[in-house]
Amino acid sequence: MTVAEGIRCERRGLSQTGGWGFWSALLMNLWVYPGLVLLTLFFIAFFPFLFPLTKRLTRWDTGRVVRFFIWCYGRGWIALCSPFVRFSREGFERVTIPRPCIFVVNHLSFFDIYCMALLPMSDAVFAVRSWPFKLFWYAPFMRLAEYLDLETIGWEGTLSAGKRILSRKSNLLFYPEGHRSRTGRLNRFHSGPFRLAVETGVPVVPLCLSGTEVLLPPGKWWMKPAAVRLAVLPPVDPRHFEGPLAHLELKKQVKGLMAEKLTEMRGHHGR
Amino acid sequence: MTDEKVIEIINTAMVEEFELDPEKMVPEALLYEDLELDSLDRVDTVILLEKAFKFKIREEEAIREIRTLGDIHRFVIEKLRSLKA
Repeated sequence: MTVAEGIRCERRGLSQTGGWGFWSALLMNLWVYPGLVLLTLFFIAFFPFLFPLTKRLTRWDTGRVVRFFIWCYGRGWIALCSPFVRFSREGFERVTIPRPCIFVVNHLSFFDIYCMALLPMSDAVFAVRSWPFKLFWYAPFMRLAEYLDLETIGWEGTLSAGKRILSRKSNLLFYPEGHRSRTGRLNRFHSGPFRLAVETGVPVVPLCLSGTEVLLPPGKWWMKPAAVRLAVLPPVDPRHFEGPLAHLELKKQVKGLMAEKLTEMRGHHGR
Repeated sequence: MTDEKVIEIINTAMVEEFELDPEKMVPEALLYEDLELDSLDRVDTVILLEKAFKFKIREEEAIREIRTLGDIHRFVIEKLRSLKA
């Protein structure tokens, strides 16, 4: 088996034979990490020139332009990983994504955020915990993109900021588990995104991500070739849920749909 | 209703609605730190208790002092006793 075959084997999610898994992973780590540093430097260096130009051409507000650049950066990361990772999208051709909407996605890996560049649109404001805001090379862009720092502003602050963002027809994206799952199973969901959906009447669009737990599991730095899949499920209308605990019912339904889809996606890979 | 029954109703409702681990449902469990509830869950807990026990408690000052699961148990048991009296 050649290195290329070994890599292809990894990309298909097949078990490794003859130790090619290690060599393809080594090659991947030697390629992706330095590439990511160069990609980041490139974006930081050219952003001051490209930002005013894009803003002028598109007439978008600052936040939206920066979100577009972050999406492009994510696409760059996907291109960088693509010799080792097979990325695929499911359901986007069948599902009409309303605008605005509240995306909710399961969380498995540090690279999940980068994988959101698989979305067909760039205008999604991410609601994340505080630690990504401590990465000094990303923080200014995250602030310009109006990303929400959940731990600093709290859920009440997130709800009011979220309403403002949705009223401008921008989408929101939440990781309702809050933390990366270390078992692959869905953790407890926080109710914030669902309360926001019920209060605003904005549909929830569930996204299911698989494969990033192989690419880079929590607590590890050693990347491995993987098959990453992002599936979109039909939007769930919060207006179908009533009563003071409607958001909890909505949360249960969305989580159930995601769990079912993730089981199907993992079964597909034989895991 | 016995105190044990009240505790069982509270624990079952919270496990179901907030997807909590039943093994963590001990009286000394801190709501934020141990059960990892957030500020919105706290509001929902009040609604949940009102629904389960058919009383109104959202205006009561004593709710603000609740820190542990045991505090919730005691609060509801006392509230039910005061309503009965």
